[in-house]
Amino acid sequence: MLKIKLAISNWQLAIGKILLSIVLIFITTTPLWAQDKIEVFPTVPYDRFIIFQTLAIFWIAIIGLIIIIRMKLKEIEKIQKMGIDKEEKDIPLLD
Amino acid sequence: MNCQRLKNWFEERYDFEELKRLTKHKLVPTHQYEIWYYTGGIAMFLFIIQFITGMVLAFYYIPYFEHAHKSIIEIVTKLNMGWFFRSLHHWGAQLAIVVLFIHVWSTLLLKSYRKPREFLWFSGFILLGISIFFGLSGYLLLWDERAFAAVRVATGGAGNLPIIGNFIKAFLRGGIDVTGDTLTRFYAFHVSILPLITLFLIGVHILLVQYHGMSVPLSLEKKPQKQIPFFPNLFYKDLIIWLIVLGIVVTLSTLLPPEIGKKADPLAPTPENIKPEWYFLFLFQTLKLFPGEIMGLNGETIAIILISCGILFFFLIPLFDRKSSRGEKSPVFTWIGIFYTVYFVVMTVIGFLS
Repeated sequence: MLKIKLAISNWQLAIGKILLSIVLIFITTTPLWAQDKIEVFPTVPYDRFIIFQTLAIFWIAIIGLIIIIRMKLKEIEKIQKMGIDKEEKDIPLLD
Repeated sequence: MNCQRLKNWFEERYDFEELKRLTKHKLVPTHQYEIWYYTGGIAMFLFIIQFITGMVLAFYYIPYFEHAHKSIIEIVTKLNMGWFFRSLHHWGAQLAIVVLFIHVWSTLLLKSYRKPREFLWFSGFILLGISIFFGLSGYLLLWDERAFAAVRVATGGAGNLPIIGNFIKAFLRGGIDVTGDTLTRFYAFHVSILPLITLFLIGVHILLVQYHGMSVPLSLEKKPQKQIPFFPNLFYKDLIIWLIVLGIVVTLSTLLPPEIGKKADPLAPTPENIKPEWYFLFLFQTLKLFPGEIMGLNGETIAIILISCGILFFFLIPLFDRKSSRGEKSPVFTWIGIFYTVYFVVMTVIGFLS
């Protein structure tokens, strides 16, 4: 009786091993089917995080530059409106 | 040699003062349609991006059919920031063509092509055509199955033109069919012939803009003009727009990098549901409207002839629109312009959705 029980448990173990190996084969070989699609963007999560972070910083820099240029442009337009940007021809020189 | 000495060294040899005076005194009109002036500057900025990213990619690309596809995969997967430069080149090209179309249509609807600016229109129109050919030749360099099929369809379509069609097809393909020879040929077009012609035409176009000055729409021509200095006013506004465009190109390149398909196999059947690039979709869709045979003649040949006539008419519009040349309103040509725009947009959308 004990021998039968041992044989059954051995069989169960063997079947379990086979099933596990099949599952493992499927898991390990799945990327082979997916290889048709070529990754055109870094796949490592840390690299992705750095890229998106850089993109956010890049936009902040662009917005900052736009604000500076706009301020400068408004200042120039104000000076042009006042007419003090034109050089006077007969201006006396200090030296 | 410090900076002042270097400046003096140049000033002794070249008359920079004259150049400074010229930029200082250059005035541009300002009015409600001035937004369209910026499209030309945006196109030029995108061309600069294309030249820079293209040069970087050319360091690593191998223009031989056995290695081309693999070399692009290596650029994207192995090179530091390679994926980004390729993506920038792709999105820069897409946006450049969009902006060029907008530039051409704004010129058409504002009648900026009228006398004496006919050559500005011609040079700009040829630049648009060259940009489209840039797109087609660059697409094949990927050497994947979609690019291969698209080029086969596009060059085959050119072959339907009577008399010169077969010559054009053979010249583009470098043989009977699309092969490795076509790839080498398209590479030569993409990196040497087209850039040289583009540089020359951009030079001519900019010189003509400087010579004629900015065009003012007919409706505003007789009204008193308000003008602003090109430098710094318009230049600073250009800078702001260029920064926004740069941001858009970089964002698109990061979020939507272009895919790479399977390597092209000339013996494999054409993949299903193949579509050309978006700027060819209106042609593709127009060809679909025609039956295979019309009164015993090849339907595709008739379609290609009609499309060529339409494009030729579009190109020669400044010569047909006499009223605008005389400074009179010409609503017929406005409607023709609207018709061309709507037809292009509708056909492209249908082609995209079908």
